[in-house]
Amino acid sequence: MNPHTVFLVLIVLGAVWTACWAAVLVSSRRTVPFERLEKSETRIRITLLAGFALVAIVLFAVTLRWLPFRESRVAKMGAPHTIVTVTGMQWSWALSTRQLPVGVPIEFAVSSRDVNHDFALYDAHGRLLAQVQGMPGYTNHLVYVFPAVGEYTVRCLEYCGLGHHTMSATITVTDR
Amino acid sequence: MTAAERPVSTALLAPDRSNGAALRASMAYMVAGLGTVLLMGLLGLLMRLDQAGMLVISPAWFYRVMTLHGSGMIAAVLLAALGGIAAAVSATTPLSARALWIALVVYMTGNGFVIFATLVGGFGGGWTVLYPLPEHGIVWTLQAALAIYAGYFFVALGLLLFCVHILFAMRRAHGSLAKALAWRFLFSLGRDKRDALPRPVELIAVVIAIDGIAAAGAGLIYLVPLFAQASGAITTVDALFAKNFVLLFGHTIANLSIYITAGLVYAALPAYTGRAWPTSWPVAAAWNLIIPLMLLNYSHHLYADFAQPVGLQLLGEIGSYAVALPSFIVTIIGALALIYRSGIRWTVAPILFALGLWGWVFGGLGALLDATIPVNQVMHNTLWVPAHFHTYFVLGALAFALAYLWSILDALSGSSERRGTRAAAWLYGIGGAGFILMFFVSGANSVPRRFAVHLPEWQVYARIAVPFVLLLALSLAWLSWDLSTRFGSAWRATRRPVVGP
Ligand code: HEM
Ligand SMILES: [Cu+2]
Repeated sequence: MNPHTVFLVLIVLGAVWTACWAAVLVSSRRTVPFERLEKSETRIRITLLAGFALVAIVLFAVTLRWLPFRESRVAKMGAPHTIVTVTGMQWSWALSTRQLPVGVPIEFAVSSRDVNHDFALYDAHGRLLAQVQGMPGYTNHLVYVFPAVGEYTVRCLEYCGLGHHTMSATITVTDR
Repeated sequence: MTAAERPVSTALLAPDRSNGAALRASMAYMVAGLGTVLLMGLLGLLMRLDQAGMLVISPAWFYRVMTLHGSGMIAAVLLAALGGIAAAVSATTPLSARALWIALVVYMTGNGFVIFATLVGGFGGGWTVLYPLPEHGIVWTLQAALAIYAGYFFVALGLLLFCVHILFAMRRAHGSLAKALAWRFLFSLGRDKRDALPRPVELIAVVIAIDGIAAAGAGLIYLVPLFAQASGAITTVDALFAKNFVLLFGHTIANLSIYITAGLVYAALPAYTGRAWPTSWPVAAAWNLIIPLMLLNYSHHLYADFAQPVGLQLLGEIGSYAVALPSFIVTIIGALALIYRSGIRWTVAPILFALGLWGWVFGGLGALLDATIPVNQVMHNTLWVPAHFHTYFVLGALAFALAYLWSILDALSGSSERRGTRAAAWLYGIGGAGFILMFFVSGANSVPRRFAVHLPEWQVYARIAVPFVLLLALSLAWLSWDLSTRFGSAWRATRRPVVGP
């Protein structure tokens, strides 16, 4: 999922909403008796309810195919080629390796030594690609296929105290 | 017929004026809440200036300010909302002014602890006080963590007292809670009208009181093991358990503000449009549905916790979509219908109500996108998250709360606003929209939330946001000034004895 696409969706939907809202505000300069509106109000409500319910159901069904959890990703991407153990701690990351192959599923087994952290992968253009929480007492498994060779940055996306924003690491992805 | 020809009474003061004392307590909630908002807003400006690289503060101070701003704002907006709903129901549901004042004192005690913990104790664990960070802060002490817990305890307790009082008062006024929730009318699909129906704002007060009790309960369930652990009685608390409860508490308490202030739209907008907004069947159905739905979607905060049972993850998504439907279809559409071709005069209160409608929906769109699990993978804990909730706080709950306080002054002060003040209300919209849009843009560019130091390539977003925040500050100062000149006479009006029969 590309965040810019999501932003575009927000702007388009937001613009539609803003236009409707503005139209209602402008309409208020004229006056009609309220009784005359009530029937169409019910009709609009039923139409919108049906429309939105439909969109929600479709969206939910689509989501089910794109779950980020381990089983769903393994089913889609295949069994992990390499497993990387990741431990978050205030305020650094320990990775069992920082050299990884391109184009194959990698499994990050993420946990924490102290407080909650969040293992987030950024590409060289600063785009967030995938993330999973590192929690004390749990190991979360993030499966990810690096699309291209190059440098990737790990950042912490769960606030963990004073050094939170400094908690980063690099991963180098190479051809096999 | 124009709006002016068909007055719909706001009925703030009961005919026998018996609710004057309750109204004064409610106004104290609103003024304390909005005053705190102004102070916390300055802290917000400070953070955005820091992220812009324009006024750099140390990371330790940034995180302390962030924690105080977050918890202070959540508490302040909620307080203003509670005051509004108490005022709105008090004319027909007698409330005890003493109970309201006690709850306020308890609540403000909590705020005192939070201020103390952050400004003096150095606590900077974030408003979510996510276990085990408060007790593992390294740069602050366990005492500071205990102080913040104590603060949350008193805020939760104050909320609990308030909500319990509302439920008792509603039961007394309507005979039973089922009647106050219009159940007979609801379950007979609107045919059985034997019970006198509650006004929408009364029904909403019951709904939020029930969810308020649930939220306060979750907060207390969260805090008990933490106190036990801090005192050495138990060694650790399960991190996932803690996270579920703290978010059930935090998410619900944040949501409460929005739903409460939506109730204020029902209470005050009709008077400005000259149209009635009665408890129709859709209104009764939507708000009864909100009771369970408000508690079901908190788990969209835990999508990145892969250890969370998948069922709860999916529930988070379904719950998030579901709760949007009744609010949009009934409340938003209902409010727009009230405005549509109504001949309304656009003074400050209706402008702020309209801005609130805009922000509630726009923020909701941002929230729904982020509640979609694959989207959340790339948006979680970026500035997209503060973007959506600032939208429906600044241009939602807060706009509604301000509008409602304004409507109280319109109704009670006997004077009207200065002509030019409506410009301040529109400015509020422009400043707010620019400010929140830059949060969304930052989120879409993967800028993390809660970073004291922003990379040079991120600073540009904060730089663009700053002038908009200044506009917001200007408009709030302007509105507050106008408010302050009319507040005294409204306050005194609640004391005026009944004249004539
Ligand atoms: C008045 C203008 C406001 C400004 C300029 C402002 C600014 C900010 C900024 C810059 C942050 C830090 C974002 C980050 O890097 O994570 C923040 C966080 C936050 N703000 Fe505001 N804000 C404003 C109003 C509000 C309001 C009305 C609320 C109402 C509830 C609010 C609630 C919060 C919360 C809960 C946080 C998160 C704190 C945390 O992460 O612990 N803000 N705000
Ligand atoms: Cu962190």
